[in-house]
Amino acid sequence: MSSMNLRLGRTLIYTLLIGFALIYLAPLYVMLVTSLKDIEEIRSGNLIALPENINFSAWVKAWNSACTGSECEGLAPYFWNSVRIVIPAVLISTIIGACNGYVLAQWQFKGSNMLFGALLFGCFIPFQVILLPMAKLLAWLGLANTVVGLVGVHVVYGITFTTLFFRNYYVAIPNELVRAARLDGAGFFAIFWRIFLPMSTPIFVVTVIWQFTQIWNDFLFGVVYSGPGTQPITVALNNLVNTSVGGKEYNVDMAAAIIAALPTLLVYLVAGKYFVRGLTAGAVKG
Amino acid sequence: MGAITIQELTKSYGETQVLKGIDLAINDGEFLILVGPSGCGKSTLMNCIAGLEDITSGELFIGDDNVTNVNPKDRDIAMVFQSYALYPTMTVERNIRFGLEMRKYPKAEIDSTVKDVAKLLQIEHLLDRKPSQLSGGQRQRVAMGRALARSPRVFLFDEPLSNLDAKLRVEMRTEIKKLHKRLGTTIVYVTHDQVEAMTLADRIAVMKDGVVQQFGTPYEIYNDPANRFVADFMGSPAMNFIECTVKDGNVIIESGGQHHEVKVPSTQALKSSGLDTVVLGLRPEMITEPKPHSDSGYISQMSLNVLVTEPTGPDTLAFGEWNGQEVQARLSPEVGVKAETEGKVEIQVDTGKAVLFDPKTGARI
Repeated sequence: MSSMNLRLGRTLIYTLLIGFALIYLAPLYVMLVTSLKDIEEIRSGNLIALPENINFSAWVKAWNSACTGSECEGLAPYFWNSVRIVIPAVLISTIIGACNGYVLAQWQFKGSNMLFGALLFGCFIPFQVILLPMAKLLAWLGLANTVVGLVGVHVVYGITFTTLFFRNYYVAIPNELVRAARLDGAGFFAIFWRIFLPMSTPIFVVTVIWQFTQIWNDFLFGVVYSGPGTQPITVALNNLVNTSVGGKEYNVDMAAAIIAALPTLLVYLVAGKYFVRGLTAGAVKG
Repeated sequence: MGAITIQELTKSYGETQVLKGIDLAINDGEFLILVGPSGCGKSTLMNCIAGLEDITSGELFIGDDNVTNVNPKDRDIAMVFQSYALYPTMTVERNIRFGLEMRKYPKAEIDSTVKDVAKLLQIEHLLDRKPSQLSGGQRQRVAMGRALARSPRVFLFDEPLSNLDAKLRVEMRTEIKKLHKRLGTTIVYVTHDQVEAMTLADRIAVMKDGVVQQFGTPYEIYNDPANRFVADFMGSPAMNFIECTVKDGNVIIESGGQHHEVKVPSTQALKSSGLDTVVLGLRPEMITEPKPHSDSGYISQMSLNVLVTEPTGPDTLAFGEWNGQEVQARLSPEVGVKAETEGKVEIQVDTGKAVLFDPKTGARI
């Protein structure tokens, strides 16, 4: 009887899982098939039907000739804008987070827990709250509408998270390791460089994925602090979808949305395995 | 060279004082053991010697150098940690090299040192492995190798054997002692295991609540304890403490319904203390079956009602009662079996090395 029950339970669980997976994947499927149809087929055909002829013209158009407002250069220039913003922002915030985490976890000083608490508080500050003061500050620094300014905003906003990640990873590493290294003659930076960084791969992967996804997908900072030549891809996507010359080109919209999402998908596919591992790994066994 | 002098050292964390004025003079080449129950401050004291904890007041000398405010890396000491603290991403060889590289030794010298140390500790075949691929005993060896490589003036061992299983612990204990004989370097060694303390030390400092209770050779600590705490802490099975009334400089023991007036060595001190009752400290091996040739002048014979026996192999511990308090005797296995079946045994008590304590203060009389 119990084995019957077990099988029944299993069947139920799998049915539910498959059902929810389908619901979750349906939009992606619709996006993908729509992006491969031509506009006639979309108007006349079924939303979920497979395309009659696979047609990449919508992708090409989305990439280099679709209009985003008055410009008609496709997403390509904005894609590279995003790359120029994301790469330095991710690297800088991750490196600062690693240093902060190392200090907060292994070199406790008076008030270090207070400082950590205050940093944590930063995780809960909503974007909207800092919009105006940050705009003022950037203008005052002469960084308004620049890539550098945008990178700076993302770095500052990201440090709270990256510090939290690294601090929690390093706090599980026994303090005796630092003590041993100090007696061995290693200083603050030598210990960080020679001992802590080499065992930080999992948490680096987690932090990089997290920061990359956050910054690449950011829309609000992008739309507020960027200028005409520095808009990230999310802003361009929004403009593209909202600009209609003649009829609405759903296939181009879909292709553009997928292009905008591809890099984060790619990062996740390449490093997702380490992401889960890094989140669950407490410390390095030794 | 490797002598250590500690003068009136105190250490406080905020309001709590954990070391309350430590004075110790450790000779060059001596094997000193700091022993005591957990929370007695022994590890803190070691960390103060290493420089990993700041000293609140007092002074610390290594050799002739005042190192009170010297950076740990410049004190010329090496430490073996309880958790071994091997660098997990480095191979065994790199672990051993690390300290030498940090001190910018020439490469050829590092190579030959690593070779020598690996040979000495028989870890040559492990040099390419990562710490996670080693067993507990092997990690212990590597941790010692890392300390040895620098040939410092002083070695510090912080409970190095407590993570090993019982058999390996005894093996490594012997090995550490051999190593000390061979190198002749000063060692300060922290443990809570009184057997380790007795077997390894040249001298032992017994600590409690941040105070050194007694500082002496294992023989002195065992046979001539300064107070009841030291007597109780050192020795396994533990010393018997029997509260007795005093009569004419002798103590009264009631056993098996009969009262015995027992002679103790410190008669004069006992008389002049003016105490009516006293705590008699007797190690279990002083209470045995009657032996033919023992005559220290302090032998008494009596019978003991045995409640339970615990055979340990070489001898059997018998638990009885004196003055209504539990007492352990150490019998031969044959007599032990008889005592268990009959519930009663004839014993002799040798009070020649008995020690007496003030029942209120625990101070030695």
